[in-house]
Amino acid sequence: MVSAMEIYMLLPKTNCKKCGLPTCMAFAVGLLGREKKLEECTPLFEEKKYEAKLAKLKEIVAPLESASETGLVIHPEKCFGCGNCVIACPVNVAAEPTRVGAGLGPEGDRVILRVEDGVVVANNLQECKRFGPNKILCNACTATCPSKAIEFV
Amino acid sequence: MAVDVKVVTYQDIFQYGAGKMGLHSEEYLKLSASIILDKGDMASLGVAEGGKVLLENELNRIVVNATASADKPHPGLAFMIKSPWSNQLEGDESCPAGASGFRGIRAVVSPSSEGITQMDEILQRLRA
Amino acid sequence: MTEFNYKTCTGCSLICEDILFPDAGSGSVSQARNLCRKGQAHYQALFSERTGPLVEGSEVSLDQAIERAAEILRNASAPVIYGWSNCTLEAQEVGLALAAKIGAFVDDPSSYCEGQLMERILSGKIPSCTLDDVRNFADTSIFWGSDPSSTQPRHLSRFSYFPRGEKRQKSYEEERTCIVVDVRESPTARLCPNTTYRVLPGEDLQFLEAILAVLEGKIPKFGDKKKMIELGSIIKKTEYGVIFPGPAMLVSLQDQMDRFEELVRRLNEITTFKVVPMTGQYNSRGYSQLLFDRTGRVKGVKFTASGEAAEAPSLVEAVKGADAILVLGSDPLLDLPAGLARAFAAAPIVAIDPRRSLTADVARVVIPSAISGLETKGTALRTDGVQITFEPSMKTNQLADEQILTRIMEAI
Repeated sequence: MVSAMEIYMLLPKTNCKKCGLPTCMAFAVGLLGREKKLEECTPLFEEKKYEAKLAKLKEIVAPLESASETGLVIHPEKCFGCGNCVIACPVNVAAEPTRVGAGLGPEGDRVILRVEDGVVVANNLQECKRFGPNKILCNACTATCPSKAIEFV
Repeated sequence: MAVDVKVVTYQDIFQYGAGKMGLHSEEYLKLSASIILDKGDMASLGVAEGGKVLLENELNRIVVNATASADKPHPGLAFMIKSPWSNQLEGDESCPAGASGFRGIRAVVSPSSEGITQMDEILQRLRA
Repeated sequence: MTEFNYKTCTGCSLICEDILFPDAGSGSVSQARNLCRKGQAHYQALFSERTGPLVEGSEVSLDQAIERAAEILRNASAPVIYGWSNCTLEAQEVGLALAAKIGAFVDDPSSYCEGQLMERILSGKIPSCTLDDVRNFADTSIFWGSDPSSTQPRHLSRFSYFPRGEKRQKSYEEERTCIVVDVRESPTARLCPNTTYRVLPGEDLQFLEAILAVLEGKIPKFGDKKKMIELGSIIKKTEYGVIFPGPAMLVSLQDQMDRFEELVRRLNEITTFKVVPMTGQYNSRGYSQLLFDRTGRVKGVKFTASGEAAEAPSLVEAVKGADAILVLGSDPLLDLPAGLARAFAAAPIVAIDPRRSLTADVARVVIPSAISGLETKGTALRTDGVQITFEPSMKTNQLADEQILTRIMEAI
């Protein structure tokens, strides 16, 4: 996953405060925490000299935008469809103990992770243990992935 | 400007998928006509990431793309996905005898400015 | 409760039976559930590069192609039938009957070096078990020269590491250990970095001897001594261990399989240890079992005029001397070392193939077939020997392999 420093290196580094934050580093952290949007750094979009950096920033910030409340990001192009995350997910296992618990593919729709068209897809993320007031730092899905196709922001 | 390597072949799920879409496709060529070299070996050859290298042994010669390994250093060892390209360098006896017990591919690697060996070329060599 | 119409995938030797196609009625595989990336590619392939009947590159009718194929095989004095591993048991049976009829030499891709292990497992010299046993009982899975994440992607999630089992309710978190022995950091190795043992090409025997040494309480002469001793401890604490050797290890130990047998024997003195092969294609094991039942061998067999198995040449010798090669369920020009592939290309080939392949591209006769498992029903043996029967997922007008082979036999 990209770091705040990597994002910072691509920003104007002028601390102009147009985004409402005091420094570009603060903006980088805000972007990563998804509290800020790239568009709020108006110089990036208005000044031609930042064109290349903007293009690169758009690329690396894209997965952040698609990340869920839980911080889950899936990179389908890296996914093997191996089902490790599907079987490791404790919510999945609780939903279908005789199927997912035993290594089989889920048959219902109450699971969070399942393999569709050869790659993993996420649904029902509000059921994820990383979500909500009693959230915990469950990392069953990311720790069992052989290709870093599933990550947390 | 040449390095002797043992080439170990392996299976890759993405190359398998590309092959299923078409053995003559760009994607299959990209993933198969490729070799992973130790960083140090690449540096001593003066080959840049993605640069072309010639792999040659007593059986055949092929030109493929070279990528630097992200693994722990392994000088003298290189990795290729099992494909008609790696097969060009592999002996025809199913398990050739050798005192060291290593049955595999040995090749000399050197930088190349030739074009990447195409699937058509390989098929031609097999039919010749 | 909805009735789920589960289908079977023949993309690899795990032969998963829990695939769901919401849209199968329309002939589409979109939104398929539980198919791994490999299975998905295997199914997608249904729709591209399908073959049609060809003789010498010209389009002909199916009957004409079969007639020409029968002619080539009938007139051959040294025919070879190669491939087999992507065919159903039913097709393999008919094929072996054809081989006996024409006195052919038969062989499959696994005979390379995997045959040595398979022979020992089928004859009982090395103890084996089913993958369901692995899921229910195994607390130590050793992938030696194999990378299931890339070759049988659902191996770890269905059987060997992540699922719960009868005696392994706490699974990988507390009750299972995954060990990888490999020359590189494979995707599977990334899952268990603390129990990955790096072994360079040709060093497998030394690694094996080092395991035997630590089991005796001796200092190993190979590898990181501390790590090897740790491995010894893991083994001694194991209740039910399973070794999954891959082709890389089997090539390396091909002349020392007796030592591997010895290792397994020694492990079974301490605790229970089984060996389960990692076969390449979905029904490699089926072919090996059929051939073994018939002839006592799993490697190349030569059928004589009376249909009995005789002293067999090596695959290289047989192919170089062949005046006809029937290829089914395989693409030797794709998979084999160049010299052997060239020997194949030099002989008249009859290719039975559902899709365009390198071998079909050079074949004299191409006979299109249905993709077994997806478009035809049949039976196969999973990599652990469990028999799986399947119904087709898709409709087709193409003939199944066994129907084609039957017609060739009739025409000979």
